[in-house]
Amino acid sequence: MSSDWNSGVWPDWCPGCGNFGIFTALKGALSELGISREKMVLVSGIGCSGKIPHFVKVPGVHTLHGRAIPFATGIKVSNPDLKVIVHGGDGDLLGIGMGHLIAMGRRNPEILVVIHNNGVYGLTKGQASPTLQLGKKTKSLAFPNINSAVNPILLGIASGYTFLARSYAYNIEHLKACLKQGISHSGAGILEVIQPCPTWNNIVTMDWVEKNTYYLKDWDPVVKDDEDAVKKAQGIIGIEAGEKKALGIILTDRRKDPFGKRLASVYKRYATEPPAAQQVDKGGAPLSIDLEKTFHKFYIH
Amino acid sequence: MDLNFIIGGPQGGGIETAGLLAVKALAMHELEVFADREYHSNIKGKHSYSHIRASDERISSIKYPVDFVGALDVETIATHYKDLRPGGVLIHDAALLDKPITKLPPMEKERLERLRAELEVGNVGTTVKELDEWLERGGKVVLPFPFSRIITERAKLASPMIEKAMNTAIATVLLRGAGIPLDTIREAIDSLFMEKAEAKELNRAVASAVSDGFDEVSRTKEMGTRSAIGKVPARGKRMLVAGNDAVAIGKLIGGLRLQTYYPITPAADESFVIEQHSSLFDPEGELVGSPIVIQAEDEISAICMAIGGALTGVRAATCTSGPGFSLMVEGIGWAGMNEVPVVITYYQRGGPSTGLPTRHSQSDLLFATSSGHGEFARIVLASGSHEETLYDAVKCMNLAEKYQVPVIHLLDKGIANCVTAINPPTLGKIERGKRIGKGAWEYRRFAFGDDPVSPRAFLGEELMWYTGDEHDESGHISEDPENRRRMYEKRMSKKEKILREVPDEDKAVLFGDENFEDLLVTWGVTTGAALDALTELRATGSKIAVLQVRMMEPFPDGFLSKFLSKAKSVMALEANYIGQLAELIEWNTGFEVKNRILKYTGRLITQDEVVNAYMRIKGGEERVVLTGGE
Repeated sequence: MSSDWNSGVWPDWCPGCGNFGIFTALKGALSELGISREKMVLVSGIGCSGKIPHFVKVPGVHTLHGRAIPFATGIKVSNPDLKVIVHGGDGDLLGIGMGHLIAMGRRNPEILVVIHNNGVYGLTKGQASPTLQLGKKTKSLAFPNINSAVNPILLGIASGYTFLARSYAYNIEHLKACLKQGISHSGAGILEVIQPCPTWNNIVTMDWVEKNTYYLKDWDPVVKDDEDAVKKAQGIIGIEAGEKKALGIILTDRRKDPFGKRLASVYKRYATEPPAAQQVDKGGAPLSIDLEKTFHKFYIH
Repeated sequence: MDLNFIIGGPQGGGIETAGLLAVKALAMHELEVFADREYHSNIKGKHSYSHIRASDERISSIKYPVDFVGALDVETIATHYKDLRPGGVLIHDAALLDKPITKLPPMEKERLERLRAELEVGNVGTTVKELDEWLERGGKVVLPFPFSRIITERAKLASPMIEKAMNTAIATVLLRGAGIPLDTIREAIDSLFMEKAEAKELNRAVASAVSDGFDEVSRTKEMGTRSAIGKVPARGKRMLVAGNDAVAIGKLIGGLRLQTYYPITPAADESFVIEQHSSLFDPEGELVGSPIVIQAEDEISAICMAIGGALTGVRAATCTSGPGFSLMVEGIGWAGMNEVPVVITYYQRGGPSTGLPTRHSQSDLLFATSSGHGEFARIVLASGSHEETLYDAVKCMNLAEKYQVPVIHLLDKGIANCVTAINPPTLGKIERGKRIGKGAWEYRRFAFGDDPVSPRAFLGEELMWYTGDEHDESGHISEDPENRRRMYEKRMSKKEKILREVPDEDKAVLFGDENFEDLLVTWGVTTGAALDALTELRATGSKIAVLQVRMMEPFPDGFLSKFLSKAKSVMALEANYIGQLAELIEWNTGFEVKNRILKYTGRLITQDEVVNAYMRIKGGEERVVLTGGE
């Protein structure tokens, strides 16, 4: 029951906000995945999307503007048992926090980043976000937008993400399926969610989405080998160059080691006892460390 | 005995290794050592040097003038010839004699102009040979040593290798001149090149060849007659560490499990050391701990990752210097708002902006104590010696978890890069603070109670929320004024709790006569120079004591007032322009700190400078600005 996943805090988004669709799909996905509640963490940035952890009945960490990814990475590397999901807006993740988005792709931690893409900075009254198209003028802008838009899917490929998908906030079933796949993926994922902002974005309306998106068919997102990876990348560039936005799973690449495995390759104990599982004391006393052995190079012999 | 010498040369020319070799050999000879490393923000070519001091008594600073200068190049001669004491010895390769002294492309033009003026006033001449003669006329000793010839003839090194071996060659002469036997020098080489067999052999051969040459050049005896080191009693096991090492060792034994960082001078070495020693073994050889180190994409990420780690119950820390700390401030505010135990090791360097990236400074005290918008409780602890730094690294993690606040371990470039010998640490205690067990009740992370510190559960254990917004007991956003007042007071009242509970010796330490008249207040690495000066001044009858302030936030005004009220005059000693500790004292206690001894050239405050400045203050000066060191 998805209502079991309500925290009881009143969601204070505007009526008709796309965040409601994401909220509903997320609760559905969490409930269907069957992960125990306290083993999940929703980490969010700042803005309307950043409030989502407060409304869901799983542990939530509502962080700083643009910084959800580093918080999430610190949580995940310390306790890999936790399922960590990042929620942020397009301004948060692709503007102020874009450096972290790229760095996360390079590391490939098992974290899904859900980009609530509404094209505007809603909570500050509708300024242009990094995904607003060049020349578009949403209702609160004085002039048409003079910056080009960034494409999070292409950015994801360039950064090394191993799961890429795009969905739509009001197609709950499709979004839920994408979330489930993304959360289950063993690596870094981006799920871009096209999210109408009925208050500030008078361009990306439900009607616009109907006319300007399509669902991917006959596209196999799973990378088979190195050669196929090149083909997939070229295919995705083609898809993204189209006039309409493709919805669906765009890339799944299981060939790259997730960050946890990379850490385990250099820290012997990591796979069996990651930081959160390690003792640091024995009843208030430090562990008995052989100082001379551990720090032998500092000893004056 | 009290020996000071400088070994200098072009960066990348093995100066750091030569300095370390010398310090190691002196320490192996059972001496107390303290060495400063000065270098440019440059990889190869610019001037760098180590100032090494050795004594049979405890020392914690460097001192001018020096007994020897060992120069690998002309720039070192030109930069340091004035640092020699009367009778002091300059050693350089005889091959440099005909070189011009003012054709020095790597030298900064301001320095070169000063040099030209000095040489002109002294009517010195234009070659190294002429400078040598001028020095000899002024009562100094110059030893143009045939290093190149000895290295090629006796160590059988091909001439392109001479440059590589010059550092060990000069260090060998300096050490032999100080009375260190060749065997000890070789032992130091073995220890330094433990893992590099080829380099070990090469350096051993060079040291032996140069040592033979040393015995044959008759004037080398003048070094020994002036600064001979006699027999020194054995001192038990000791460790040779820079401040970066001391912090790393402290963090490792204190239970650190996640270190995050972004490369920055002079902090990055600490993370290297943690990585290199991340396998912690017990006496049975079993791996008992294995912290991880993550190199973040920037300092914003470094602090946020560390906070994320801390939320899972892991002892987490990051380290940085001023520019990185500037980027971390927002994260630290979040940690303050969410009562997260996270440790930031903060090595100050010259600012503002990029400032003097590789040089010393204590100009971030007020920034560390008050950075961040809004008000929140934090602890700022400043260490004054390497040994204290190690123990404080453990204490900072304890304090962070006990009070659930961000803790800033405030250090400086001086501590970070100076090398000294310390006693191996005794393992202290680990305090993890209030924890909650698993239970059926509804957990509230920020539950109100008599104690402002709420029991902690870690992510993965209970339902909990965190937010940078003002929040209720569960961690959900709340703008309710009554909740705001209570939550604000919960966080801020930790300041009083901390002041009440932290032991006095972690707040401030008084050194010297209880019946002092003059109180010299200082902090950080400068404490060492103050203590060395204190010994010297008390021997001549000055009624002076040194008060080292350790806890900068919350500020221990009550405890400090006990000492301040007894002093006839209070003088602050610190490496910044305004006297930041003096300001903090005046602001918090109302006591006037009229006299301020300050230095902001980026170089360490030295023992001799403190003694002179004290005399000048006694002579009526209010503010003394120090300028020593190159």
